Amino acid sequence: MSFELNGVEIEDTFAEGFSMWGSRIIITAKNKKWANIAATTMTGFATSVIACDCEASVEREIPPEETPDGRPGTAVMIFGFSKNKLATPMLNRIGQCVLTCPTTAIFNGIPEEEADAMLDIGASLRFFGDGYQVKMRMGDGWLGRQRFWRIPVMEGEFLAEAKFGAIRAVAGGNFLVMGATEDATLEASERAIEAIHTVPGVATPFPGGLCRSGSKVGSRYTFLKASTNTPFCPAIKRTFPDSQVPDGVNCVIEVVLNGLDEESVKRAMAEGIRAAIEVPGVLRITAVNFGGKLGKFQIGLKDALGVE
Amino acid sequence: MEELRLTPKKMPDVPVEAEVISPDAVSGKTLKDVRALPVYVGNTKRALGDFFKVSGRVAEDASEQLIVVDGEVPDVKYVGAGMTTGRVLVEGCVGMHAGAQMSGGELVVTGSASDWAAAEMKGGLLRIHGDAGNQLGAAYRGSAEGMTGGCIVVGGSVGVEAGAFLRRGMIVIQGDVGSFLGVHMNGGEIFVFGKVSRRIGAEAKGNGGFIACLGEVEALLPTYIHDTTYRPDFMKLYLRQLREELGIERATEFLEASFRRYRGDVAVGGNGEILVAVRE
Repeated sequence: MSFELNGVEIEDTFAEGFSMWGSRIIITAKNKKWANIAATTMTGFATSVIACDCEASVEREIPPEETPDGRPGTAVMIFGFSKNKLATPMLNRIGQCVLTCPTTAIFNGIPEEEADAMLDIGASLRFFGDGYQVKMRMGDGWLGRQRFWRIPVMEGEFLAEAKFGAIRAVAGGNFLVMGATEDATLEASERAIEAIHTVPGVATPFPGGLCRSGSKVGSRYTFLKASTNTPFCPAIKRTFPDSQVPDGVNCVIEVVLNGLDEESVKRAMAEGIRAAIEVPGVLRITAVNFGGKLGKFQIGLKDALGVE
Repeated sequence: MEELRLTPKKMPDVPVEAEVISPDAVSGKTLKDVRALPVYVGNTKRALGDFFKVSGRVAEDASEQLIVVDGEVPDVKYVGAGMTTGRVLVEGCVGMHAGAQMSGGELVVTGSASDWAAAEMKGGLLRIHGDAGNQLGAAYRGSAEGMTGGCIVVGGSVGVEAGAFLRRGMIVIQGDVGSFLGVHMNGGEIFVFGKVSRRIGAEAKGNGGFIACLGEVEALLPTYIHDTTYRPDFMKLYLRQLREELGIERATEFLEASFRRYRGDVAVGGNGEILVAVRE
């Protein structure tokens, strides 16, 4: 079953989302350049929990007037399968990639009232100060209480908020852009990512937000727990027995996204699909799922796009 | 908010102790009950109505109560002392112990306040538009801790021993300050825009506490060690808070300022900080 939007065939299927714990970190620095360097370094090798310790990506740049210290900022989102599997990579990555990066400071991006749990990230990072760290208190008894740690570093001080909010988030939002050519498919996918990042609270951990290999559970090799999504590989569409690549399609790119809640993921998927189907040469949109057997969330393309 | 108005009448020669001038004490009462609330003149128990004309409305809930003292009350002590919520506005000067041990709400004094204002304050906001006397936000004699929360903002100058034994909370002094500022402090933040007198931070222990001197400093104790001169990021958070939450626009001037960082008081093994803004 499928329906048409802007002349593009859209399969009436769903993306299968998984429950993960997510957090949001605001990195500020002397200028945009250093905030982005810290953010991109911190989110390296964090595309998928298939082989990475977490999933993470830059959410967006934040203008100085919106950051706690009035400096340019970059928001990073990070996801793990449990609170512990979120906290550990957060701590490691901030410790190795942000604490070390000149002029940076970090702030919690999920307020306590919105969070499902608070993680002692800054409170753990403080030990890098080797006893010379300084506890910083703000707002006691008259504003909202805030806690930070000031950690001495060779360049000056690293300022870290003591606690970071964690939330029960949604991972595995996705759709496949199937096009006649690589150029058209890539352009459509890039436009999709741009549109997705207009939705707050959404992350796209893969390179540029895109996964060209796709993935499927398992492989014919016992040592490999996941392999490329062979049913959607155009290069073997006549070779693979159950290929799902339609005639005319010569390139498929998966757009993958995580979000702080199901609604954000759904909205971002819709924005992404709408942007993608504007590009000539895009022939079909579908989504990847496991028949609804593995994931907690089923985000239907029809539902996301608001099609009756 | 419901506004209750207290108009001062002729005051006795001996100060009046009126900690009933607090939203907690008047809320839920009738005007008649409010007039009968006890105040002390020396060791004599009198009624609030003997010294104030009481008018206006009383709120059921203290958080909805505004008390306006519409005149000078320099000899009325303990105004707003122990208040937990609501708002008190003194249109003029106020006597000793104003806002002492308050734990919430807002007390505003448009004139000056006498000694021991907000002593041992636990929370809330005290704004003094004029000057404040000695021992602002300090610990009472014998107490181990002074202020443990809340915020005091003084538009003018302050006497000696402000913030003595400060544990948590913030004191902002926009004018000059007398000696022994932050003596024995063990946490909390003090900002001074004017001139700071001698012996600041004497016997301070640290615990994250600091004194930010944004104006002139008369002298620092030799038991404070100069570590470095730098632009601490954390200071931006405080300075923005001063501007955005307390309306102190002058704070913006120091957003990009460098500070000389002194650590002490090493005489007592302390690791408190005095941060002195570097004048360009």
